Amino acid sequence: MRLRKAVPLAAAMLLLSSCIAMVKMEAGPVTVKDAMSVTSDGRWNRLDLPALSGGSSEIWTSDGLSLDVLTFHVGIKDADPLAPAPMGSKRVPPVFRASMVANEIVELYEATATQDGSTFKLERLAPVQFAGASGFRFEFSMTRKRDGVALRGFAHGAVIKGKLYLIAFRAPRLHYFAKHLPRVETTMRSALVKS
Amino acid sequence: MLGCGCCALSAMAGGALGAPWNSPARFTRPTEASEEGGLWAIMEREEARLRRSAFLVRDRSLNDYVSGIACRLAGDHCPDMRVYLVRTPLFNASMAPNGMMQVWSGLLLRTANEAQLAAVLGHEIGHYLSRHTLERLRDVKSRAAFGQFLGIVFAAARVGGIGSLAQMGVLAGLFSYGREQEREADQIGLDLMTRAGYAPAEASTVWTQLLDEIKGDAVSKEDYASRSVLFASHPPLEERQQVLADAAKELARPEATHLGTEPYRAALAPFRSLFFEDELRRRKYGETLVLLARMQKTPGADGELEFYRGEVHRMRNEKDDLDQALRAYRQAQSMQGAPPELYRSEGFVLRQLKQEAQAGNAFRRYLELKPAAEDAELIQTYASKE
Amino acid sequence: MTKRFSRALALASLFLLATTASAQSNRAEGFSRLPPGVKIALMPMDIELFEIGAGGVAEPRADWTTAALKHVKDLYRERKARMGAQVVDMEDDSSEQVAELNRLHGAVGGAISAHHFGLLKLATKEGKLDWSLGPDANVLRERSGADYALFTYVRDSYTSSERVAAVIVAALFRVQVQPGAIQQGYASLVDLRTGQVLWFNRLLRGTGDLRERDKAAETIDALLTGFPQ
Repeated sequence: MRLRKAVPLAAAMLLLSSCIAMVKMEAGPVTVKDAMSVTSDGRWNRLDLPALSGGSSEIWTSDGLSLDVLTFHVGIKDADPLAPAPMGSKRVPPVFRASMVANEIVELYEATATQDGSTFKLERLAPVQFAGASGFRFEFSMTRKRDGVALRGFAHGAVIKGKLYLIAFRAPRLHYFAKHLPRVETTMRSALVKS
Repeated sequence: MLGCGCCALSAMAGGALGAPWNSPARFTRPTEASEEGGLWAIMEREEARLRRSAFLVRDRSLNDYVSGIACRLAGDHCPDMRVYLVRTPLFNASMAPNGMMQVWSGLLLRTANEAQLAAVLGHEIGHYLSRHTLERLRDVKSRAAFGQFLGIVFAAARVGGIGSLAQMGVLAGLFSYGREQEREADQIGLDLMTRAGYAPAEASTVWTQLLDEIKGDAVSKEDYASRSVLFASHPPLEERQQVLADAAKELARPEATHLGTEPYRAALAPFRSLFFEDELRRRKYGETLVLLARMQKTPGADGELEFYRGEVHRMRNEKDDLDQALRAYRQAQSMQGAPPELYRSEGFVLRQLKQEAQAGNAFRRYLELKPAAEDAELIQTYASKE
Repeated sequence: MTKRFSRALALASLFLLATTASAQSNRAEGFSRLPPGVKIALMPMDIELFEIGAGGVAEPRADWTTAALKHVKDLYRERKARMGAQVVDMEDDSSEQVAELNRLHGAVGGAISAHHFGLLKLATKEGKLDWSLGPDANVLRERSGADYALFTYVRDSYTSSERVAAVIVAALFRVQVQPGAIQQGYASLVDLRTGQVLWFNRLLRGTGDLRERDKAAETIDALLTGFPQ
């Protein structure tokens, strides 16, 4: 863990302990952000954070946030960013347009994921059925800026009634990506958008 | 060929900058217990970490090429130097007192020829040969700053360093070399370049180019020190442009006119796309356009650069950017070296401009040229829709 | 006096934290001790010392860090006998594979710190220390000849006197107080045949000084408390 400033670690932890937590996603159907449903295999944990609760993203993990991360972007609307801009950035984050095609959505994902200086390489992009709609799947590799860890990732997405639904998975190239890949594929295939 | 064609051929070496300068003898490693020895230990540790960095460019050819230039400039000191190339889209080069030199990919993208790269490397070697860093560290306070500064300098390559660029810039500024040291490094750099046969006028050009780029982006005018660590630690800029230009005229010799434009272009060619894509990811579109305009004036200018110009406009997507993008893609089509992706991008832009039929044509052209594209299936669906 | 005040504040908060957090096992299931006479690869250590300036920003101090690395290395060598093992120094191995495994461990160590010992417990782990570097750890085994590897991570910050003064002034005016030095880190032992993290000792406290050799010994003792030998 890095110290960017003199965070009152203990005091902060005490404060946060009341509003930050990991919640187990029990096996069975789970509703994500009131708009999407997926089936959990009982080995996922959801990150509950005040900053996330009001937004359209949800983060799950099995081995920890610095390792495997499954991110749900649910119902992103026209002119909304995929994720809020990093703290202290003067820059306007890249935004979604409802008219975007898959390639452009991948560019949006890449621009968002590389704001911290991480590198990104698209490996594959193909059509796929996702959440009951005609969607797309893309595979990529990244080198995470903050610790130089090589990551592999893939995502499924679709634009449904003008809103973007995207589930993205990233994990270290060594061991962790392969470890969780089959489970993540299953989770992605189980996704449905509530109408 | 650019050159100092109008300069007096009878200029004395050193001229207006003072007495002729002679390279010192090679430095010996200080004893561990000495103050200098302590600094050496710090730098060795940083170098060990640098060697393990995930952002090091390890390609043998490119490393040999840049090392070769540094070596020619350093002369007798060549065996004491180790050059590391770091993949980060910012303009910076630095040399530590133990002979370790770092060159960032943002710099390699921006220097237009061997002479310009030699100017920057020569300047850093100038600091090394004059032992400026060690001079600064006589003062205890600077020692702490040096420790901090190393953190900044290695931030691109290392783990767990400073967060923001602005912070980097501020701290680098705190550590900046004095005016006298800058003048000395400039003089030595020019001298080394000229002795190696490079055209000294290119030194001033490097700074002119960088300043133009920074002015190209409205946001960065205020905080341009944060754009480049080299900037922040080597003030002031506009003034140096002029001083270097004047000094170059004094140093001009008939045998020092080498630019090395073609060997430079050839050595960087395999990396230009990679480094340029890193540049695009900065999303500093104004600066990138200035950089592109300059790159397009060199012999290496081709359809790929024009395609990138289209990409910048397409990604910025403000005001009349989409029209500009189309213009660039169309221009690129008539040039050599334009990648098939230009048709795909053209298709995206046409779609946004509601010219569906033309978009379809563009997508189909892309598929004709790149049937095994990694996104062929999807592009096919767009093409059939239009 | 002022430095002690802010440290006392931090320490008090940490004590509170310690009592609210439940004790977590620092051993993987089924592991208790290392067999005698093993070879342990000492991985290049990830240690960084910072100075907290008056503005509250932590700035890396390369000179302190270099000193700390030297002290820790020397002390590890001294403790060799106590560890009862042969130590293979991997510092000079600059291969990409070793570097990548070292980086991966950084991410794993962060996960264990936050999710096993920290507040963000993963219910799915059921309280077990169950993390691995994966089978690629074998590469490390081949290169080092060792069956185990020891990873060390320390982030240690020290307040400057200006900072402490600022803290006191703020406290006097009842403004939010930022405490002073915090030392956090871990020592981790990995089985190179499987990649499994066997033992993980986490450090999080308001004391400790790695800048001086004699004071550093105390931190090393704390890091290696309960080393399974």
